[in-house]
Amino acid sequence: MRKAAALLFTLGLLFLLSVMFLRFELGQAPMRIGKDILAAAPEQVGAANIVTSVVLGYRGLDTLGEIAILFTAATATGLILSGLGGGQRRDPEGGFILRHGADLVFPFLMLVGMYIVVHGHLTPGGGFQGGVVLAAAFFLPLLARPSRAVSHSALGWIEGLAGASFIVIGLWALTLDQAFMTPWLHQGVLGELFSAGTLPLLYLALGLKVGAELASLLAHLAEVEASE
Amino acid sequence: MNAIVLPVVLPLLAAFLLPSLARIWSSAARVLGPVLMLVSLCVLWTTWGEHPTPFVVALGGFQPPMGIAFHVDSVAMLFAFLVAGGALLMWPAWTDDDTMPRLAALTLLLVAAATGLALSGDLFNVYVFYELLSVASFGLVSARRTGAAFAAGFRYLVISGFGSVLALLGIALIYLRTGTLNIAHLGQLAPESLADPFGLAAFALLLLGFGVKAELFPVNTWVPEVYAGSSARVAGLLAGVVSKLAVLVVVRMLVVVFPHDETRMLLLILGVVGVLSGELAAWSAKDMRRMLAFSSIGQLGMIFIAFSIPGEAGWVAGLALVLHHLVVKSGLFLIADRWGGALQSLTGAARVSPFTAGLFVLFALSLIGVPPLPGFWAKLQLVIGLVENGNGVYLGALLVFLAATVIEANYLFRLAVAMYAEGASSTVTAPSGGNRIGAAIFAAVLVAAVFLLNPLSEAIDDLAVVGNDATGYMDSLAGGAR
Amino acid sequence: MIPELHVGWVLFAGAIGLIAIGVGGLLMSRDLFRVVLALAITEAGANLLLVLSGYRFDAIAPIVTNEVGGVMVDPVPQAMVLTAIVIGVGVQALALGLVLRIYRAYGSIDVAEVRRRMDDDIAAEAGLPLPSGREKPAVHS
Repeated sequence: MRKAAALLFTLGLLFLLSVMFLRFELGQAPMRIGKDILAAAPEQVGAANIVTSVVLGYRGLDTLGEIAILFTAATATGLILSGLGGGQRRDPEGGFILRHGADLVFPFLMLVGMYIVVHGHLTPGGGFQGGVVLAAAFFLPLLARPSRAVSHSALGWIEGLAGASFIVIGLWALTLDQAFMTPWLHQGVLGELFSAGTLPLLYLALGLKVGAELASLLAHLAEVEASE
Repeated sequence: MNAIVLPVVLPLLAAFLLPSLARIWSSAARVLGPVLMLVSLCVLWTTWGEHPTPFVVALGGFQPPMGIAFHVDSVAMLFAFLVAGGALLMWPAWTDDDTMPRLAALTLLLVAAATGLALSGDLFNVYVFYELLSVASFGLVSARRTGAAFAAGFRYLVISGFGSVLALLGIALIYLRTGTLNIAHLGQLAPESLADPFGLAAFALLLLGFGVKAELFPVNTWVPEVYAGSSARVAGLLAGVVSKLAVLVVVRMLVVVFPHDETRMLLLILGVVGVLSGELAAWSAKDMRRMLAFSSIGQLGMIFIAFSIPGEAGWVAGLALVLHHLVVKSGLFLIADRWGGALQSLTGAARVSPFTAGLFVLFALSLIGVPPLPGFWAKLQLVIGLVENGNGVYLGALLVFLAATVIEANYLFRLAVAMYAEGASSTVTAPSGGNRIGAAIFAAVLVAAVFLLNPLSEAIDDLAVVGNDATGYMDSLAGGAR
Repeated sequence: MIPELHVGWVLFAGAIGLIAIGVGGLLMSRDLFRVVLALAITEAGANLLLVLSGYRFDAIAPIVTNEVGGVMVDPVPQAMVLTAIVIGVGVQALALGLVLRIYRAYGSIDVAEVRRRMDDDIAAEAGLPLPSGREKPAVHS
């Protein structure tokens, strides 16, 4: 009975959504602010990747909110999982190939992650994408050698300081009598590595924060799971 | 003027550093939060003194429809004050174990998000702050680390997550139609692109999405177990302060972007059902925590009824009910910290702590609406608004509202009389000193409001004019950000 | 002849289908872990719909290059979706943490069983008779 009602509800929702969205002319978005941003962004922000201009410039506050959400989730997970007597993990050590493969891949993952972070204002990519690769780089050795403990305090400092520097870079604009998050470094030449004002700095902070946060989240979950 | 971001940003900054900082400076978690609330209050006060509202702050220096803007009018200021003040009085992170830094960080994040909700003038930014608010409250709810707290937190997360998806769909629908996200800009475009069934659907999606925190009828099933499973201060913060911010978001969208009869009717009907279901459930509740939780569903239903009345009368009634409920329900949840158990165990509780029982009676009388307490005045505004509006549906809502008040009076009187029963001795202990002081401050505010009713009602009238002024909201965009 | 199928329509159908699957899963799952998965699927559908709200079939990615480009797609929904995805990841991680703790506390992740145990615990804490009719809440280490 309950299943039937649920099924009916789902089908009804499917029908409503289809009717609603099929009425639109697909692929002809009105782009009211989108057009303005496309026209103004190379001048105003100076990043070749316009999505980055939006993420860190026009909608920078959303991005701050989003790293705050990730931080909140990591803190809350740490809070509810603490006191579970984590202890030593009992998974077996990885084999020879797994352990040495992980060691071998680690520097390359770091390199790729940092490259994606640093070039976020020029190419598709940026702090989040690169941050996830960095988190993977740190998490891989953990999978290969389950007995190795994670330094939560080091990760905590990295994420705390990276998040704080994101905010401080934004607040610095206040001392120049500008609004919060106004880019204040020189814009440079469009398309070069050192361009787009403060954006690359913000992305660097973001990448480190996301990387540290995801690594600590995964480590928390792995520790509890192992101590079953 | 740019300093208006500080009440949002400084708590975030402190929260990022707090868990690490507490390792080397152990009292950081104890001191930093309350101090920051005081700083926020100071910043808000000086900004309000220096700059005439409304003003718009273009964040990042990008002009508003393109970038995110904070739209600061007197209503937004009021709510920002309420958040900082409420969090200061009900600061939930006073435990002494190692969880305190994390609790304090989560509370700071909750405060930052709630302040952002009050100030932001951008639809997607509102969504982001709303999500931050949600995730922080999941953490706080589960922080007691009992099985019931985890299960309640999980149910809350799933319902809230579903609501977020609905809100996101609503935003996608609105963006498909208009191509913009700034609320003032949406208001300007709404008559040509959102005044049709699609607009109504988008509003309904946003209403259900943001209504989760506002304890709106179909998406409020999380309320009783979350308020029963979490600590009393967290429950007070969620019921007293956080729910009001979600109400503000919904009402802003209603007034500025969707001012139609259909949308008002939708809000009215959901509010009426909320009042009925909430008060009936509160009447049959057997423990104080859940009684308060259901009663808060009913009270928020009344607030939705009030805001569905077109014109300033609705705003006057709505704001009065919001302020009143914030003070009373926060105070009641502080009392319920130790008295939250079965109602029967409270028989004769007045002998254990006459002071607390007196506070309870005061709050209860105001909640019912006994003159001369402010609750009477707030409910009177709602009755006036409903009667003046005159048409059938609103009169029906009036009848439901009166019936709900009778039910409310019945269960609250029943408990108050039992507390003073002769010859019975209660097993409960008196609430802790901090909670009694907090509840006493709320009671003092309530009593002060009785004597300051005239200036207070004038202030609410002014706020109602600002809140109801949709063209004023949109004009602040055309005037350009400063 | 296979009728010409536009990629945009496929994406739209996919987005709406994902939402429907997710909502169905939310309502019908009896297992908390599946509820988390269903929530993730629903979010994925909503994100896909959001990014499509700024999509243009004839346009290129919004990155300035040396080559002569055409019209670019709207960058705003892409930024919004980036935000929404990260939010989703955070919520899912927290949800998994909660599922772990619920399993530790109650020894079960069955929706109905967890619900019953939670109601029992709340009633026991308030000093009321248990709704399930048991004498005292079953304790699980």
